[in-house]
Amino acid sequence: MALYSNAPASYADHTSAPIEHRFNPYSDNGGSILAIAGKDFSVIAGDTRQSEGYNIQTRYARKVWQLTDKAVLATNGFAADGNNFVKRVKQRLEWYEHAHHKPMGLKSIARMIQTMLYAKRFFPYYVYNILGGIEEDGSGAVYSFDPVGSYEREACRAAGAAQSLIQPFLDNQIYFKNQTPETGSEPFIPGNLPLSTVLSLVVDSFTSATERHIEVGDGMEIYVVMNKGRTTDDLLDKKKLGPGMEVEELGALGEGGGERTFLVRAALKRD
Amino acid sequence: MFMTRSEYDRGVNTFSPEGRLFQVEYAMEAIKLGSTTVGITTPHGVVLAVEKRVPSPLLESSSIEKIMEIDSHLGCAMSGLTADARTMVEHARVTSQMHNFTYDERIGVESCTQAVCDLALRFGESVEDDDALMSRPFGVALLIAGIDEKGPQLYHTDPSGTFVRYDAKAIGSGSDAAQQSLQDAFHKQMTLLEAHSLALKVLKQVMEEKLDENNVQLAQVTNEKGFEILGEKELKEVIETLAA
Amino acid sequence: MVAKAVETPNIGFDFSNHARNQFLGQRLQGVPKATSTGTTIVGVIFGGGDSGEEPGVCLGADTRATGGPIVADKNCEKIHYLTPQIRCCGAGTAADTEFVTNLISSNLELHALSQGRPARVVTAMTMLKQYLFRYQGHVGAHLVLGGVDVTGPQLFTVHAHGSTDKLPYVTMGSGSLAAMAVFESSFRENMKKEEAIALVARAIRSGIFNDLGSGSNVDVAVITKNGTEQLRNYEMPNERGIKSRNYKFRRGTTAWTKEAVRSLVVSEEIKSTSGAGKDQGGVEVKAVPTGAGAGGEEGMEIDS
Repeated sequence: MALYSNAPASYADHTSAPIEHRFNPYSDNGGSILAIAGKDFSVIAGDTRQSEGYNIQTRYARKVWQLTDKAVLATNGFAADGNNFVKRVKQRLEWYEHAHHKPMGLKSIARMIQTMLYAKRFFPYYVYNILGGIEEDGSGAVYSFDPVGSYEREACRAAGAAQSLIQPFLDNQIYFKNQTPETGSEPFIPGNLPLSTVLSLVVDSFTSATERHIEVGDGMEIYVVMNKGRTTDDLLDKKKLGPGMEVEELGALGEGGGERTFLVRAALKRD
Repeated sequence: MFMTRSEYDRGVNTFSPEGRLFQVEYAMEAIKLGSTTVGITTPHGVVLAVEKRVPSPLLESSSIEKIMEIDSHLGCAMSGLTADARTMVEHARVTSQMHNFTYDERIGVESCTQAVCDLALRFGESVEDDDALMSRPFGVALLIAGIDEKGPQLYHTDPSGTFVRYDAKAIGSGSDAAQQSLQDAFHKQMTLLEAHSLALKVLKQVMEEKLDENNVQLAQVTNEKGFEILGEKELKEVIETLAA
Repeated sequence: MVAKAVETPNIGFDFSNHARNQFLGQRLQGVPKATSTGTTIVGVIFGGGDSGEEPGVCLGADTRATGGPIVADKNCEKIHYLTPQIRCCGAGTAADTEFVTNLISSNLELHALSQGRPARVVTAMTMLKQYLFRYQGHVGAHLVLGGVDVTGPQLFTVHAHGSTDKLPYVTMGSGSLAAMAVFESSFRENMKKEEAIALVARAIRSGIFNDLGSGSNVDVAVITKNGTEQLRNYEMPNERGIKSRNYKFRRGTTAWTKEAVRSLVVSEEIKSTSGAGKDQGGVEVKAVPTGAGAGGEEGMEIDS
C-alpha cells in the first residue's frame, strides 16, 4: 500500500531538471580539406572519407568540386549542407553566365559565396569552404570562408577535422613560420614554391593526418588548376608522382584553351 | 499612322488585332517631343550630349538634369518624360550597386541596360497579392554609356523594353536629322575631342536656339576617369572649336 | 571520551575534488578527457569435440588508443595479463582497463598463493564484476575475459556496470558489431586452433577497417592447457608509407634571442676528517651513499 496516493508537491524531485529533447538538424561528417596557391597554379585537395561518429558512411564521397575552368571549391563539415551548397553555387554560376555572357571570375565567386553564406546567418550552412583557382591576373589564389561568410584571400588554408594538425604544418612549410633563413641569404617568400613541392606537401599532409586522426583516410583527390600556357611537365611526369597516384586532365567546362585543370587521385590508409 | 482608333488603345496590356500595343507606341511618341540627345562611341570612351530647353530667361538652367551618373563607369542621357527616367536611373543605380556588392566587380554595360529594360516592361494591372505595378509604360528613352571589359559601349533603350547597341545615336525631337548627320560624320577611330565637337555640332544643327554653354550639357565615360559631366570651362572650349 | 573526527579511509577512490572539477569544467572548456580505447576486442572458444585438438580460448584485439578523434597510440597493448593461463582484453577508458586488470591480476596471484592452486577464470570474472559493480559503471572497463583452468576453456564478457556473459564467441568495444558480424557468419564449434586464430584475426580486421575507434594492428593470444601463446602484432595491415619529402631542418633554423653557455660539470672537494676512507689525495672523490653506512665493502644481510 502506498503511503500517499499522490505524492505532495514538496516531494518532487528537484535534483533532476527536466530534459528537453530537440531535433538537431546538423551532423559532422568528418574529413579534411586544404588548398595551396602557387605563382601560376592552385592546388585544392580533400580526403574522400565520409563518417558519422565511429561509422564510415562511405569511403568515397566527393568534397572537392570543379566549378569553372578557373575555380575549384572544397567543402567540409556537414555533408548534406556541403552538397546542397555546391549545387546552389553551380546554379548561380549558370544564371550569371546567362545574364552576363561570361563565366564568373574567381574573386566574384568568392564574393558571391560570402553573400550566399551570410544570407543564412541565423540557420547557417554547417560548412567550411575553401575556394581555389586562377585569378583574373593569372595568379594562383586561395579563398577561405567560415560558415557564415567571413572570407579572406590567403596563400594556403586547411579546414575540417584535421585542421589543427595540418594548418601548423602548412604555416611552417608554406609561410616558413618559425624558420629563420640562413644568415646572409634571401628571406623566404611565401607563394613561390614549385608545383612538385606543393604536391608533396599536400600528400604528406593527408598521409600524416590519416595516421593521427580517425576521421581522415580512404583516399584523396587533389585538383590542380594551372594558368594559361603553363608547362605541365612537373605534374604529368610520372616519376614525380608518388606510387599509386594517378593524374587525369579534366575537360574544359567553358570554351577551353585557357586554364587547365588536373585531378590527381591517391589512396590513403583505410583503418 | 493610326488608321484604326479603337478601344485597343485603352488597356496597356491589350494587343490590337493587328498585334500592336498602342500605349507603348504612344509612349514612343512622347520621346519625339523630347529634347535632342546624342551619344557617340570612340575607342577611348563614350560621349553624351543633350540639349537643355530653357523656355524662360528666369529658369535656372543648371537645374535641368538630363545626364545622370549610374555608377562610376556608367552614365545615361535621356529624352522624353525625364521624370520617368529618374525611376529607371534609380533602378539602374541599385542594380549596379547590388552587382558590385554580390560579385565584387563592376556591372557590365549591357547587363545594366538589360536590368533597366526589364523594369520598362513591368507596367499593367496588378494581380491580387502582388505589389502594385506601374500603371503605364515609361515615356522616356535612354542612351546608356559605359565602359567594361568589352570596352566603351553605347546602348539605346525605348519604352517597349527593347535595347540596341550603337556606335552613335541620336534621340528626341531632332533625332532624324541628327542621326543622319552622325551617320555622315562618324568614324571608328574618332578621338574624344572629335566626338565632343561632333556631338555639339549635331545638336547645333537641330537646335532652335543658339547653342551656348547654358543650353547644352556634355558628359563622357573614359577608362581613366570614369563618368564625368564636363564643366563650364571645358564646355566653352568645345563650343569655341565649333565656331572656328 | 571525546568523539574523534571521522577519518577518511585511505583506500579506494578519492572523490573530494569532484565538485571542484565539475565547477572548473563549466568555467573552462570541459573536464579533461581520458584516453579511451575505442576498440575492437574479441574471443572464441575452439578445439575439443571431434576436432582432435586441445580445447582452448583465442583472444584478439586491435592496437589503436584514442583521445576524442585523435589517435593517441598507434600500437598499444589491449590484451592484459591476469595469470599465466588467463588473459583479459580491455575496452573503454584506458586507465580503468589497465588498472583494473593489474589489480585483479595481483589479487589472483595472492589467491593462487593462499589456495595453493591456480585461480580459475570464474574467480577472475567474479572479482572483476564485484569490483566494477561497486563503482556503478564509473570505472569504465569493458572486458573480454578468457582462459583455461581445471574446468576447461572459459570465455566471458564483463561490462562496466558489473554484468557478465558466458558465451562461446564474444566481441566488445566500439568495433563489437563489425567483429560480431564476422563471428555470426563464420563461427563454428570445435574449430581447429589455426581456424580460430584466422577467424579472430578476421573479426579484428573487420573492426580495424570499419570502426573509426579501432585501427592499426591485430594482437592475438591463444590459451590452451599447455600454455599461452602471445601473438603480439600478429598482423600489421596498416603500416605507414614513406613520406614524400624530407623534413629535416638546417642547423640554425630556430631563432634564438640570447645565448648563455653554462658548464654542468660540478666538482667538489671532500677532505676526510677521520680514518673512514683511505687517503684520496684531496682530489675528486666518488660519492658514497650515506644510507649504506659504514658497512663499506660487506653487503647488508636481509632477514629471510
